[in-house]
Amino acid sequence: MLKITNLHVTIDDKPILKGLNLEIGPGELHAIMGPNGSGKSTLGYALAGREGYEVTEGSIEFEGHDVAEMEPEERAAAGLFLAFQYPVEIPGVNNAYFLRAALNAQRKARGEEEVDSMNFLKEVRESLRALKMDEALLKRAVNEGFSGGEKKRNEIVQMAVLKPKLAVLDETDSGLDIDALKLVAEGINRVRDDKRSFLVITHYQRLLEYLEPDHVHVLSDGRIVESGGKELAVRLEREGYGFLEAAEA
Amino acid sequence: MSALLDRLAGEQHLPADDFSDIRRRAQAALMQHGFPDLKTEDWKYTPLKLIEKREFSTDETTAAALPELPFQAQVLHFANGRLDLDTCDLPAGVRLEPIGRESLERAEYGDRAGAFAWLNLARFEQGLRLVFESDQEHPLVLALTTSENFAADVHPRLEVEVAEGVSATLVDLQHNAGAGLVNRVVDIDLARGARLNHVIRRGGGDCAWIERAVVNVHDDADYRVHVLDCGGRLTRQDLRVHLLAEGASGEIDGIGLVDTRQHIDYHTAIEHTVGHTKSRESFRLLGDGSGVGVFNGRIHIHKGADDSHSDLNTANLLLSENARINTKPELEIYAEEVTASHGATIGQLDDDAMFYLRSRGIPADEAGALLKYGFAAAPLEGTEPVEVKEWLQAELKQALV
Repeated sequence: MLKITNLHVTIDDKPILKGLNLEIGPGELHAIMGPNGSGKSTLGYALAGREGYEVTEGSIEFEGHDVAEMEPEERAAAGLFLAFQYPVEIPGVNNAYFLRAALNAQRKARGEEEVDSMNFLKEVRESLRALKMDEALLKRAVNEGFSGGEKKRNEIVQMAVLKPKLAVLDETDSGLDIDALKLVAEGINRVRDDKRSFLVITHYQRLLEYLEPDHVHVLSDGRIVESGGKELAVRLEREGYGFLEAAEA
Repeated sequence: MSALLDRLAGEQHLPADDFSDIRRRAQAALMQHGFPDLKTEDWKYTPLKLIEKREFSTDETTAAALPELPFQAQVLHFANGRLDLDTCDLPAGVRLEPIGRESLERAEYGDRAGAFAWLNLARFEQGLRLVFESDQEHPLVLALTTSENFAADVHPRLEVEVAEGVSATLVDLQHNAGAGLVNRVVDIDLARGARLNHVIRRGGGDCAWIERAVVNVHDDADYRVHVLDCGGRLTRQDLRVHLLAEGASGEIDGIGLVDTRQHIDYHTAIEHTVGHTKSRESFRLLGDGSGVGVFNGRIHIHKGADDSHSDLNTANLLLSENARINTKPELEIYAEEVTASHGATIGQLDDDAMFYLRSRGIPADEAGALLKYGFAAAPLEGTEPVEVKEWLQAELKQALV
């Protein structure tokens, strides 16, 4: 589904990713951990196509397409989703309108018909209920006045409604209390199946306890330096990243 | 004397009617003061050179079309600035009559800052007085439209009176296809306990539109206006709301969109002349291309107008390198126990928000339109009735695509 080969990304000419390789198959959930500044968020933004994140070498292949040449909205329509570490407030645009506009824009790009209003609302309401979010949020401006936890849960609601093939979750667990963390994990598990894939960027092993990742990778200085199963996350939680440096030395 | 003044007021004869003495007084004041220039404080961002080369012609013009409205309303059509009194149909409880002498005699517009009002007084062709005598179920629409070959200068004059305790909605719909000058003076009076929902929707064309509106609000009366301007070669709106007695309130909400070869200038003033009065004002200007927007909003709480409340804010969005917005909220307070606040911001479209929307699949142009709408639409929130609000929202959305 996703094949990243020797990816180099610079921001303002400063190299951040320095030869990253990663392959994610259908239905797989991969976790990426790593110290601050190692390039985790850069990877998320580079996948989503943020301006200023320049791919200088290597390639990102998604479902056989080279995404480096695609606009952010084209990547979304192709099935890529990024849950933001810091979801953005959009004053004056209400959540329901935004979600429907996003879903319809993606459907249009794929040559599908517009979504039926009744079904759409029903589905959005179910997603909100599952994440224990108030329906009144639909009429409020996107993320405006939301608590930190509500913003993160709202990302998961969007993911549930947009049904991407690959969801990149950038520190969606940061700043969540334990109950909210469980809700988010359940929200992710609910949409997992043998086709949908996930790339979960996190600092903590706790979310991974609920998610049961197929693979765990450690990102350090712009490269994946260690890969393993979920036990790797447990070891990182216990020992920190120090053992990697010790291993390199 | 400027060339513009010469063409507009110089050698033309004043209309011959019972008001010729008043017209001569106005003409004399106009000639004495002349038109405002960039040294005139209230006009310093709005150069009349924008229309200086314009030849005004009263040649026969074709009939101006009336835009369709998506809500039920009684429409009075001022085609090319003039209402055909023989064919217009008034709802029950609304009276329309020729303007009276008394208010014209009292008219006083000061120096050159008031030149266009003097010009109107000297040259108005049709002066009408509109009286709301009982509550109106549907909005009354005054549709002033100009046809494509319109190139004249017209000077409509209107008085609106809302009788004691009466509620009404008045929609000023101004659609310009032509290139002349519409120079209008409007005087509005709200009697005790009256309420007027006033909507001003202007748009398009090369026409210059200059309007001076003065609103007198008496005891417990409530004046609310929602303005939506989409473009216009030169639009100048002066709006003064006088809160004259306890319980009076005034609210001004406005949105102005300017793009290349468009210029809109709002000069508003809310005068709290007595205490226990309330006002609120909110404006959004969006500048694109090389458009120019001007907002000067003044709240003046007079000495002794204690226990008055006011809030004024203006937020502005610059969408291009060359657009210009000059914004100035002014608060003058000479009273005690007052709550008053004001604020002004100028910003640009937020890159983070753009990327967020695009990452969800919304194409860049649609995302931009959505963000602009989200920014601009707030002043329409309180518009009543709801069908008029939805109409304005749709018009705004359309204009931002």
